[in-house]
Amino acid sequence: MDGKDSLWGLFQQRGLSRRSFLKVCMTITGILGLSPAMLPKVVSAAEQNPLPVVVWLHGHECTGCDESFIRSQSPLASDVLLNMISLEYSDTLSAAAGEPFEHHLEEVMKRYEGKYLLAVEGGVSTGNEGTFCMVGGKPFVAALKEAARGAAAVLEIGSCAAWGGVQAAKPNPTNTVAVHTVVSGKPIIKIPGCPPIPEVLTGVVMHYAMFGQLPPVDSQGRPKQFYGNRIHDTCYRRPFFNSGMFAEQFDDAGSKAGWCLYKLGCRGPETYNSCGNLRWWNGLSYPIQSGHGCIGCSSNGFWDNDHFYDRMPGIPVAKTITNADTIGLVVGGAAVAGVAAHGALSVLQKSKRRSGEHEEVGGPKA
Amino acid sequence: MERGHSKQYYVFSPFLRIFHWLMVLSIVTLFTTGLYIGDPFFIGSQGLEPTYAVTGRLSMEIMRFIHFAAAYIFTVSFILRAYGFWRNKGDRLFPHFWKKQYYEDLLDVFLHYTFIKSSHKPCLRNPLARASYVALYFMVFIEIITGFAMYTMIKPNSWGAKIYGPVNQLLGDEYTVHIIHHYVAWLIILFAIVHVYMAARADFMDREGEISSMFSGVKFLPHEPVDIGDITDGKDSSVRDRKHSITG
Repeated sequence: MDGKDSLWGLFQQRGLSRRSFLKVCMTITGILGLSPAMLPKVVSAAEQNPLPVVVWLHGHECTGCDESFIRSQSPLASDVLLNMISLEYSDTLSAAAGEPFEHHLEEVMKRYEGKYLLAVEGGVSTGNEGTFCMVGGKPFVAALKEAARGAAAVLEIGSCAAWGGVQAAKPNPTNTVAVHTVVSGKPIIKIPGCPPIPEVLTGVVMHYAMFGQLPPVDSQGRPKQFYGNRIHDTCYRRPFFNSGMFAEQFDDAGSKAGWCLYKLGCRGPETYNSCGNLRWWNGLSYPIQSGHGCIGCSSNGFWDNDHFYDRMPGIPVAKTITNADTIGLVVGGAAVAGVAAHGALSVLQKSKRRSGEHEEVGGPKA
Repeated sequence: MERGHSKQYYVFSPFLRIFHWLMVLSIVTLFTTGLYIGDPFFIGSQGLEPTYAVTGRLSMEIMRFIHFAAAYIFTVSFILRAYGFWRNKGDRLFPHFWKKQYYEDLLDVFLHYTFIKSSHKPCLRNPLARASYVALYFMVFIEIITGFAMYTMIKPNSWGAKIYGPVNQLLGDEYTVHIIHHYVAWLIILFAIVHVYMAARADFMDREGEISSMFSGVKFLPHEPVDIGDITDGKDSSVRDRKHSITG
């Protein structure tokens, strides 16, 4: 594929019917979270727009996002890779490797300058001149800046690229930052998650492939159709929350009965993602459904908000761990005690003042 | 001391007083329901079927409804506060940080509270208390914006979410917003403990009608208060007459 064909062109090359093409367009409309009224636009985009060239870089990360991506079911990751985009560079998914491959990257960046989509997976280590993360003999930060210069748009894939990720956890020894702190002047979209839902990844890539632009984003730069709602507000266990039915422990009756995991530290109420409605592995399940609270993996700074199994974060105080309510009770008790002591002293002070006044008043009269 | 020697001063407008008691009620409601929301307890009356449990007395749904309703009442009650501020000079409690006299009065009250001086200069509105109200309003402001930031994001495309949603981003992530909301709630309760004590103590020490002034708007002082200039400007004679009516 030369990266210039449209989806319809591809269908024609393969001798597939117009009917199946329209079916695919309908499916795409649904997956992208668009209204059915958008179908004509999707069709005309699929007929005309050339398939985008994608360069996929890997930085300070674990490649878990790749693992997630290749398990995309609708559309199949293989379909996206082979039919919908032209993936010119990805050091984990490509058969090629080594110097010729790096040379190919340079060529691609030159040939499609200003046209290719840059997908970045992983944070950017900036400490020690970026040498904590070397890719192809170069600091990743340098490779990223070079690749971003000619990119049409940048996808921040995963929480590392979007927020910095686990390696940016305090005290962040490698000084890892999100991609958008290093790259600027390009349309950037965040696809956070550790990893992101596969269908969300392919959905955003496909949206770009269809319309040649990034999908609409929320105030934090995440695609609205996938990160618009809290997991809590789309969770199938929400009725248990509303009814005050909470699992207290992972082995109690409430947990077995599938009650809300709020008290076990579920971060659903603070986390924006599609786990509640898209779910994972073609709708098979998601963490809360399998009995484990959300850890908020698509939120900024989730890695520092431990302990994951408590509603309130633990605060280390003198060899023990406490929380806001305990501190509040202790300090509130101390305030009451202090106030009582002050009150007692005030009574003394007043009686002293009284006797003083009596002397003063009494003095001249006497 | 003796009521007979005291002069009556009209200080607080009804708007401030109603606001004050609305604030008390809503803060108590918000704090107790908030504690439940932060750490819900199961009393076993709900049964096993959420469809029916939701109508139970201690359901999260009802607690949250009370919390949000109280939050709206609380927020809207600031209209009364603003109106009182505009209408009545006695309601203008913002400490005069830019005046030297304010600091002198502040030190005077501080020395009295630390038992170094047996009494402080007579004043209608305690300078230390006024400083603490600024702190309270700041805490309340944080509670309101963090509260609405969490609340409005139920509908991320609503206009409320457009106004308050960025707060979540500003403070890092929404989890941090929950934590801040929780801690500041406790700080407000600490303020309330000290505030109630100081008011009761002032009544006990000086008998100037500190507590009753929040009902009647009137204080009784045996001596000319040092901050009398703050509530009168000499031009409005009718106001002045009202304030100086002698009760004894």
